[in-house]
Amino acid sequence: MPPTDMVVFDQIRRKDYRLGSVAVFLLVAMGVLMAGLWYVQIFSSSQYIESQRNQSMRTVRIPSVRGKIFDQHGRILAEDKPAYNLSAYLEELRPHFRKAWRENRPKRKLNAEESLQLQIQTRYQVVSNFISRARLNLPLGVNAGEIQQHFSELRALPLPVLKNLDPANVARFMELSDRIPGFDIQAWPTRHYPEISVAHLVGHLKKDNTSEEESTAYNYRLPDFRGMIGLEQTFDDKLRGQPGTRSMLVNHLGYRQSENLEVPTQPGSHVHLTLDLEIQKVAYDAMKASGHKAGAAVVMDVNNGDLIALTSMPVFDPNDFIPAINPQKWAQYRDARPSPLLFRATQERYPPGSIFKIISGLAALESGVVNTNNFMYNPGHYRLGRRNIDDTAPAGDYNFKKAFKYSSNTYFIHHGLSCGIEQIVQMGNQFFLGQRTGLLPRQEVAGQFPTLGEVRNGWRDGDTANIAIGQGRITVTPLQMGIMTAAVANGGRVFWPRLVARVEPADPDAFTDAMTFPQGRIRGQLRVTPRNLVAVQHAMWADVHEEGGTGKRAMIDDYAVCGKTGTAEIRGGGRRDKITWFSSYAPYKQPRYAVVIMIESGVSGGKTCAPIAKKIFEALRDRDRRSPRTPLANN
Amino acid sequence: MENTLNPPQKPRPDWLLLAALGGLMIFGLTFVLSATQVNELFSGAPWYRQPFFKMIIFYAFGITAAGLLCLKDYYQIARYAFVGYWICIVMLVIVLIPGIGAVRYGARRWFDLGIMQFQPSELAKIAFLLALAQFLSRPRDELRQPDTLLKGIGLTLLPFGLILMEPDLGSSLMLLPAAFAMFYVAGVPAGFLKKVAGGMTCFIAACLIYVFFVPQAWKPVQLPDYQKRRLMVYFGIDYTTQYAKPNATPTELRRVKAMQRRDSYNVAQAMISVGSGGLTGKGWAQGIQNAHGYLPRGVSHNDFIFSVIAEESGFIGSAMVVVLYTGVFLCGIRVAGQARDRLGRLLAVGVVVMLFSHVFVNIGMNIRLVPVTGVPLPLLSYGGTSIVCSLLALGLLQNIQLHQRSI
Repeated sequence: MPPTDMVVFDQIRRKDYRLGSVAVFLLVAMGVLMAGLWYVQIFSSSQYIESQRNQSMRTVRIPSVRGKIFDQHGRILAEDKPAYNLSAYLEELRPHFRKAWRENRPKRKLNAEESLQLQIQTRYQVVSNFISRARLNLPLGVNAGEIQQHFSELRALPLPVLKNLDPANVARFMELSDRIPGFDIQAWPTRHYPEISVAHLVGHLKKDNTSEEESTAYNYRLPDFRGMIGLEQTFDDKLRGQPGTRSMLVNHLGYRQSENLEVPTQPGSHVHLTLDLEIQKVAYDAMKASGHKAGAAVVMDVNNGDLIALTSMPVFDPNDFIPAINPQKWAQYRDARPSPLLFRATQERYPPGSIFKIISGLAALESGVVNTNNFMYNPGHYRLGRRNIDDTAPAGDYNFKKAFKYSSNTYFIHHGLSCGIEQIVQMGNQFFLGQRTGLLPRQEVAGQFPTLGEVRNGWRDGDTANIAIGQGRITVTPLQMGIMTAAVANGGRVFWPRLVARVEPADPDAFTDAMTFPQGRIRGQLRVTPRNLVAVQHAMWADVHEEGGTGKRAMIDDYAVCGKTGTAEIRGGGRRDKITWFSSYAPYKQPRYAVVIMIESGVSGGKTCAPIAKKIFEALRDRDRRSPRTPLANN
Repeated sequence: MENTLNPPQKPRPDWLLLAALGGLMIFGLTFVLSATQVNELFSGAPWYRQPFFKMIIFYAFGITAAGLLCLKDYYQIARYAFVGYWICIVMLVIVLIPGIGAVRYGARRWFDLGIMQFQPSELAKIAFLLALAQFLSRPRDELRQPDTLLKGIGLTLLPFGLILMEPDLGSSLMLLPAAFAMFYVAGVPAGFLKKVAGGMTCFIAACLIYVFFVPQAWKPVQLPDYQKRRLMVYFGIDYTTQYAKPNATPTELRRVKAMQRRDSYNVAQAMISVGSGGLTGKGWAQGIQNAHGYLPRGVSHNDFIFSVIAEESGFIGSAMVVVLYTGVFLCGIRVAGQARDRLGRLLAVGVVVMLFSHVFVNIGMNIRLVPVTGVPLPLLSYGGTSIVCSLLALGLLQNIQLHQRSI
């Protein structure tokens, strides 16, 4: 029976209005309570759920496992490997902290500062006592101050006390782990670079705790890394994957109570390169073995523009940047000369010297001022006005081939001036000199090459003479020379260089498709008569194979290497230096590979660079004999 | 009107009232268990020292005492009302004497009896109800005389003042609505009641003005600081307006702000508990606020038990609690309406309004409807004296019901 109406109306029936109004008052007051509860629990519930979430939930951003970088055979150039940390779970240690605190606390009353110091000491003591029980014979990886900092800022997260445990210590801890409450092994993905000869193009990482592009606000972020240079930077968004989110429930003191993986991480995609690590290593080792300090080597497939090796010397070790480079090491890298941070294959401008005669020679042949059979007398020097230009080639009669293989300055200056600078500039433009390839955006320079506008205005014959022999107002990168050599070898196709073959999601079932970069994208086609190109190719063959050729040190008995040596002089700061080159391809009849070697401060192109190219060609030859087709040829 | 041919009906207890009380006690046990099982202070204690078990003992003790109270007609009990009243007054005086009354939370409210603590103000509430009911049950005509009314007011203000001095503002205020309702139902002229009500309103307004707007230096009597701060929290007044000098340094301002956060912490957390419960709650023992210590462990099972109920059982559960209490009150009003004499009627009204005040203030402070005062939720809050005295008062109510026809 409902008492409400009965009680109220009963009193009214009995004319007991006062008792009735007390009943009404109580009903109204309880109704107010009910309405208040409705307002708080139903109407504004979401607001309180939100504040509860804010005060008791902590979100942690978990970086995903970074994708790997492979060479064309699937050899690893960069990968995430697990590193093992021993971590303390503070919420489980809390009773031990309290127990130790009770034991440590002196009878007298402490002031706030003393109390805090004693607490810090106590926590350190508890952690180190537990660690010593594990008998790992390792010093504690954190000090009292670091424990305190973690305690005050990241209390809900495990505290790493020993970092990078080796497998033996991991095993030792696991045996004893029952006896050591509150500690556990955590595995962290850690970037590892097994091969440093690819350091510049693979690049390195830097700790990254920014969240510019992320809309989610996290309470905590586990350390994540960002690619700074190289492919790590260019493909950072692909390699990185998607971070995950873990949410933790914390109590009013901030200790973790439970946790939940809200968003799992999505591992980053793998990047597959056209590079062949084996050839890359041969190239790097050969440069190193030459005894010189700085240089670069480019190995390109002349038929499609794929880069097979792209290396620079000296190198840095990208592993030094994990987890963070120490300041001394950084200062060392920054101040060392020659700088190990410079990617000489694309990032520095060099005068091409005599290897530019491939272009100036082609320009002269195309313009018709000379044909391959004409001889001219070379007195052993060239006189231009009052300036005398030495010629390393001896005095005598020279035709195109002989001039090319002896690298006669006189011959090329004479014919360069005859055909005119505009012809040379137009020829250079066909090889895209002075333009970037876009291979590694942060590590590439365009080089310098005069434009038609520049040569029509205040240009002197002396400038033309310099350009004709690859000096003066012209600088190139070894990569540009590689592309040029490949174009000469393959009959005139100038390719876009390709380094990345494809980017594949780590999980083959993932929705994201693999990204494939097409092979053999043609950038331009040389407008030259095939006869003239053949003449240059033949001259390059002669430079290596014929008596007196400057490139004969690159000769291999059963592999027809064609090349052109170059030795450019640089004067500056009261100092003379030489940039030595060897620009080559092979085999002569069915060209496959272009190899360009550049060594700073070398003796000469023929003496310094040609032997290095020879070693690389030998390796390429051996590789092709083992497996005649490269795996990427069918992509 | 009575039919003398039929034998008088055997008096029956009020089953609806008993059922509602049973429901409340089940709520109380369930959620005190939930609130304390996660508390480290209790989790290590043996079972017989667990609040849950002690609460069962309190209930059993209170029910037994209430049952014994029903054996005697309330009319005979009321004869001793003034004896009880004066005994309580003496106890309220003694508890104020340093060395006898035990001090907890800065107030001298308890007798420490070794195995348990006893709060005389709780018992005084019942003695006061009995005495005032007895006093006001005189013929209506006498109630028109001013000196009788003044005596009645004196009867109220004496325990009120003593409890206020402990200090225990919350408990002392609980006496006033009950007294007012009893005066009203007793038939005191409306004009007189209006004056009393008007006087009380003016007094409260004057108090608030005194607390907030009179400069500190001019005040001869200080309200305890915590009361003032509670009022400021309730009205949402920024502490910096009262506690910081106009030229305060940033450090001082920070300190004052921190003080405000600390003071409003309980209410803020109680609101979050209640509000985050939503419609259905998070489930028994799933309350984050209590389990993870946001709701202070010291109060979650007594003064703030309602927060735990509301968080874990949601609006459904808290509405159920409100409905059960409403049922208890209406049954009490019915008992008053059917009481055989004015004494029973006034006593029943007093008991009902007294319980109502506790319920309203306690639940109200959880949703910031009223300022925080240390008032327990009858039968649900963990606290021996409160539970036993609530049951005693309800026993009186049953007594009036049982003896409504016998002379």
